[in-house]
Amino acid sequence: MATFFGEVLSVYSRAVEEDDDDLDDENEDERIHREIEEKREVHIVWCPEVAQSLEDSGSNTLQCSDLIIAVGTNAAGFLSAYVLNTESWDAVGHVSLWNERSRGSSRQSIAPLPGEPACLFYRHRDNPAVLVCQSTCYIAEDQLFQWTEKVLGCLQKRGLSVMVLSDSPVAEYKTPDYLYGSAVPFLRSLKSSASKGQALCPALEQPNILTGLPAAVLSHCQVHQIPAVLYQCYTDVISPDSITMETYKPALLCLSKLVKLEPCLSADVLRKFAIITEAQSNLYT
Amino acid sequence: MSIYDRAITVFSPDGHLFQVEYAQEAVKKGSTAVGIRGKDIVVLGVEKKSVAKLQEERTVRKICALDEHVCMAFAGLTADARIVINRARVECQSHRLTVEDPVTVEYITRHIATLKQRYTQSNGRRPFGISALIVGFDYDGTPRLYQTDPSGTYHAWKANAIGRSAKTVREFLEKNYTDEAIATDNEAIKLAIKALLEVVQSGGKNIDLAVIRRNQPLKLLESKEIETLVAEIEKEKEDEVEKKKQKKST
Repeated sequence: MATFFGEVLSVYSRAVEEDDDDLDDENEDERIHREIEEKREVHIVWCPEVAQSLEDSGSNTLQCSDLIIAVGTNAAGFLSAYVLNTESWDAVGHVSLWNERSRGSSRQSIAPLPGEPACLFYRHRDNPAVLVCQSTCYIAEDQLFQWTEKVLGCLQKRGLSVMVLSDSPVAEYKTPDYLYGSAVPFLRSLKSSASKGQALCPALEQPNILTGLPAAVLSHCQVHQIPAVLYQCYTDVISPDSITMETYKPALLCLSKLVKLEPCLSADVLRKFAIITEAQSNLYT
Repeated sequence: MSIYDRAITVFSPDGHLFQVEYAQEAVKKGSTAVGIRGKDIVVLGVEKKSVAKLQEERTVRKICALDEHVCMAFAGLTADARIVINRARVECQSHRLTVEDPVTVEYITRHIATLKQRYTQSNGRRPFGISALIVGFDYDGTPRLYQTDPSGTYHAWKANAIGRSAKTVREFLEKNYTDEAIATDNEAIKLAIKALLEVVQSGGKNIDLAVIRRNQPLKLLESKEIETLVAEIEKEKEDEVEKKKQKKST
């Protein structure tokens, strides 16, 4: 190479050579990638009866007419208080996964403890085609596709209809109008194009978008033409709270057509699922 | 959210100080307080906070005396209020010692508001998350009601409300604050209770009331007195309804 001043320098080539020495490094990289992938894999653990039904069906799918997914502590609390409070629901499975925010137990077969963030499945005893999923753990973006494929892949597409209830902070709701305190919490809906019925609340306005598990489920339903409706509840409280849970009540109209629901709810039952944060109540006077 | 809402000392391109505006949202998380300026009386009414079972109720107070003739009610962050109240109390006494006169309500309000404004222009400090209603009598006997907010502004009012459902209460006051409504001390107190009953659930037992009469110290009403007044108000409402029914039938 000739330099500016006229001398000639010998330059080392920066071309990559296909050497045998590099193979080990590549193997190591591949190995590390594989390990990370295995660690982050999403596993569904079904109870023995459901695992048996899956095997018995030719296509490894369950017959399901309605799948109700609750994403977030308030949505899950609403289902626990208003739907799962009768004795006719069986826990039939859970999803075990690991990511930086959701360090699930390393052994998949152990069911999560009650109160821990987890992803649980329940099936109604009298109407086994109705499945409820409560998801309170964080599912990383790279795991969402796997979760959706594995869970919805276990269910027969024909006759399936999906409802998703999801929580979101109202700070993420974009609107040109000022939101008065009395308006919060409130519901907004989104549907897949296969969903025919009327949603029970206004549709989510632009430019608001969904992210995370609700978005993954709704996208899957849109692609596979499964009727799906999503109710997003915007709330200004960060912990499970009974007023936010009551905002989901319009969904009870659809749910009561599927399963028998407890007609009235005592305040004690609701209080069990809502955390009355003492710190919060002393912070503001 | 926009990138101009993190630091207190940064204006947004359209002139907002977002941190100050967010501090005003913190005020809305506190329960409602209402202030009424009568002819010979000033009234402060607050919605009592629900107290935990093992908590001493009397240590959870929204109405505090700043001096013998001035008191204030606040809405917002409890700890911030404590700091502001302490500084105001010290200033009241310092003023008495220095100038040998009690503070005027406007003076102490200006002091509190200046303190709050300082915290909106300082690096590394956030604004106080409280609004205050300051009431009292000046030494010339004039009743005063002032309101301050986290930005450090203060204004005099005839009647105002702060906190959770302040807008509803203010609208009620705009309709119902008339010279007749505050003609007597009792009427002024009842107006404050009526305003609070618009937004307080479960009636009189969730209301705290304080009054200052000219040349008299601050008086916190007992719950029995409040219940009696609430009963009077209910009766008056029923009488109104009866009268209207009779008018319709004749």
